[in-house]
Amino acid sequence: MFKELDPILHSQLRLAVISLLISVKEAEFTFLKEKTNSTAGNLSVQINKLKDAGYIEVTKQFSNNYPQTICKITPRGIDAFEEYVKALQSYMNPNGK
Amino acid sequence: MIEEGNKMTEQESLKLINEMIGKAKRSYITTGAASIVWGILIVVCSLLTWYQVYTQHAFGFDVWLLVFLAVIPQIYFSIAEKKKKNFVSHDEHTMTYLWSTFAICIFILSFYNSKFETDSSHSTALFMLLYGIPTFITGGIFKFKPMIFGGIICWVLSVASMYTDIATDMLFMAACGLFAWFIPGIILWKKYKKQQLC
Repeated sequence: MFKELDPILHSQLRLAVISLLISVKEAEFTFLKEKTNSTAGNLSVQINKLKDAGYIEVTKQFSNNYPQTICKITPRGIDAFEEYVKALQSYMNPNGK
Repeated sequence: MIEEGNKMTEQESLKLINEMIGKAKRSYITTGAASIVWGILIVVCSLLTWYQVYTQHAFGFDVWLLVFLAVIPQIYFSIAEKKKKNFVSHDEHTMTYLWSTFAICIFILSFYNSKFETDSSHSTALFMLLYGIPTFITGGIFKFKPMIFGGIICWVLSVASMYTDIATDMLFMAACGLFAWFIPGIILWKKYKKQQLC
């Protein structure tokens, strides 16, 4: 029986964001934009979806008079990512070998 | 460009995850400037001490006090690097605690030496032993072989210095600065410059 893929994560940009955030402690919006090579508008929408799902935490602050958006994966996000990878593996290796 | 709406296969999902984790890992690169400064300072102080012992000519001040001067560029480089970075890696806290522990231990050992006027030829082995610890761990965490070798060289020279005189110990100490920090720092600097060009 195949595990269902989490629809929140099974989307290119959201999966890219969560994969980046699992690799670092926290990252600025500019880091995510630079690494995913996405547009600011689209990235902003997808970050909000991940935030609404409780997968990431978003903090807005000012640094040297410039607004800064910092994203951090939550424990729930880590669990969801691990489940997603397990589900992918079950698709790739249905016999569990 | 990664955009929404594109359907992904399972293979594509795994490829994307690997690609992003790889991109994040490659972002960890540092300038290596702090390592170069610290390496130069250890080499210079060791060679100046060797010169004093070899020629029996004292400079009239403790050349190792110059080490404390390294704190200023270290702070400058770490602030400059932090300003440039737009992410915080998992290993950063580990590194801060590790190198702070090293700095505290070096300070306590220097204080112990001056308080009890310990025979310098014995304490050089302890200094080199300490040099090897953070270097080896940092090299291991970042899988950076030059620092792993640098750490091992410090320990080998630490043992060797137990059988040599103070003048030779100072040459060993200079070799530690060279192999543990200066050469790895230059390699990191080159990598950083190469990445800037890409």
